[in-house]
Amino acid sequence: MRALLRLAITELKLFVREPMVLTFVFAFPVLTVVILGGVFDDDDPNFEGALPSDYYIAAYIGVVIAAIGLVMLPVHLASYRERGVLRRFDVSRYPRWALPAAWTIVAMVITVVAVAVLLATGHLVYGLPEPDDVIGVVVGTLLGAIAFISIGIALGMALPSARSAQGLGMLLFFPFFLLGGAGPPPDAMGNPMSSIANAVPLTHVVRSIQEPWLDLGNPTGHVAVLVGLAALATAVWLTLSTRTAE
Amino acid sequence: MSMVIEVEGLSKRYGSRLAVDDVGFTVSDGEIFGILGVNGAGKTTTVECLQGLRRPDRGRMQVLGLDPRTAGSRLRMLVGSQLQASALPDRLRVDEALLLFGDGDRRSADRLLEAWNLARLRRSSFASLSGGQRQRLFIALALLNRPRVVFFDELTQGLDPLARGEVWAAIRDVRERGTTVVLVTHFMDEAEALCDRVAVMRAGRIVDAGTPAELVARHAHSTMLTFTPPVSLDPTALAGLPGVHRVERHGGRIRVVGTNQLIAPVCASVLGDDGLGPPDLRVHHPDLEDALIALINDSDANGQPGPAPGRTLEGVS
Repeated sequence: MRALLRLAITELKLFVREPMVLTFVFAFPVLTVVILGGVFDDDDPNFEGALPSDYYIAAYIGVVIAAIGLVMLPVHLASYRERGVLRRFDVSRYPRWALPAAWTIVAMVITVVAVAVLLATGHLVYGLPEPDDVIGVVVGTLLGAIAFISIGIALGMALPSARSAQGLGMLLFFPFFLLGGAGPPPDAMGNPMSSIANAVPLTHVVRSIQEPWLDLGNPTGHVAVLVGLAALATAVWLTLSTRTAE
Repeated sequence: MSMVIEVEGLSKRYGSRLAVDDVGFTVSDGEIFGILGVNGAGKTTTVECLQGLRRPDRGRMQVLGLDPRTAGSRLRMLVGSQLQASALPDRLRVDEALLLFGDGDRRSADRLLEAWNLARLRRSSFASLSGGQRQRLFIALALLNRPRVVFFDELTQGLDPLARGEVWAAIRDVRERGTTVVLVTHFMDEAEALCDRVAVMRAGRIVDAGTPAELVARHAHSTMLTFTPPVSLDPTALAGLPGVHRVERHGGRIRVVGTNQLIAPVCASVLGDDGLGPPDLRVHHPDLEDALIALINDSDANGQPGPAPGRTLEGVS
């Protein structure tokens, strides 16, 4: 356990030394806050009765979670594989699941910091409403983060190079971003598009945060999807990281 | 002497290509064992199976009495490895790497930093290290957990001669402290300088094994003398001297090929009137590289393509 913690702390230090890697995770969601919060009129009827700037809070958090899970983690882990860093770990005393496990810790820390920066910005620019159910919001955020971190690690373990991870990550990130809550509200989407939006994992993250925050409904179904996603993705990365090369 | 590594009937196939084909050898406690061969001979795959990094299709393996297939995580505690293609994160510092991969004991990390001449680089990032410094760091990492066996794969590839010399001295030092060393290399001078015993691999098979001297005696027979003959010399007369197999002409120079005993008579017959020999006279004794080239060319009899005779190993891919 101490070794795992040392691994996580070392990895976190490496991140701080390369702050450019974090730009996407920190700057992109903040830009989204500023732009999206100001696009719609306050009395726009498509937001289930909520203010547009309030409605998009959960989407901003979802953008942070998706950027970490779909772009940052896969690119980082795939580049470790490509450069032979994973091989070096393979012959060390660390069990093979240790590096992905340390990465889960690192990514959680980055998520918490990035979400805090984001909410502070949102609060300064538009003002944030008091969450209706604080515990529900925290649970939704943490489960969403764990689900996407596990997906990111599974992608990173499966993809051969940083470039392929970057390509696939972006390909997933933008549809997730647009359909998962940061794009037009579901009430403004046509029927087929809103069905597709329901199949996008990020939608469940955003709804799991949004519903308890703005008292828009019971998020249990979405939360259950997140638990299932997290379990599935974790099983995938555990299998991928512990198998011996053929 | 007890056996540290035992391998029998090891085979590994990649698609249709048999990378390792029925390989068997033993390594005894405290020796430096070399696995030699040109690129693509199956050396690295063999060692990766022993390290538990790859699953062989067939065969029996024991490293320190453990099977790498089933006891991989226990073996990793007892074995040190320097890998052919591996790296560390760019921003990781030298001292952090030793703490990360070691047991966190700062004193043993410091001792290794001193021993491997890395102390003054302790705050340097991996990305800023030169090739030789990186190799020294990888050796230090391989030795961190005081392993009983270390695997070094192409340890001196890309190093300048000075750095190679340092690494060689370091490997001898590792053995002096009682660690068994398995050295994978395609540099024959390296194997000759370091290894107690070697196995030569070609196209996935071990074609011969023994001490470097045994391999040289078995496969490399020819001593060569080359020189520009004095005008007075009749080159055809050299062919009749004892020990001479043949005399070749290369431009203005003559090459006499034969057994070790030819040196004295040939030298005697090329003395000038002033009592001195040709200034460009060179003697080439048979070495491990000759033996390996002979071994590879012998295997051509099996219908497998091989490099042209006389080419150096570095030129073979």
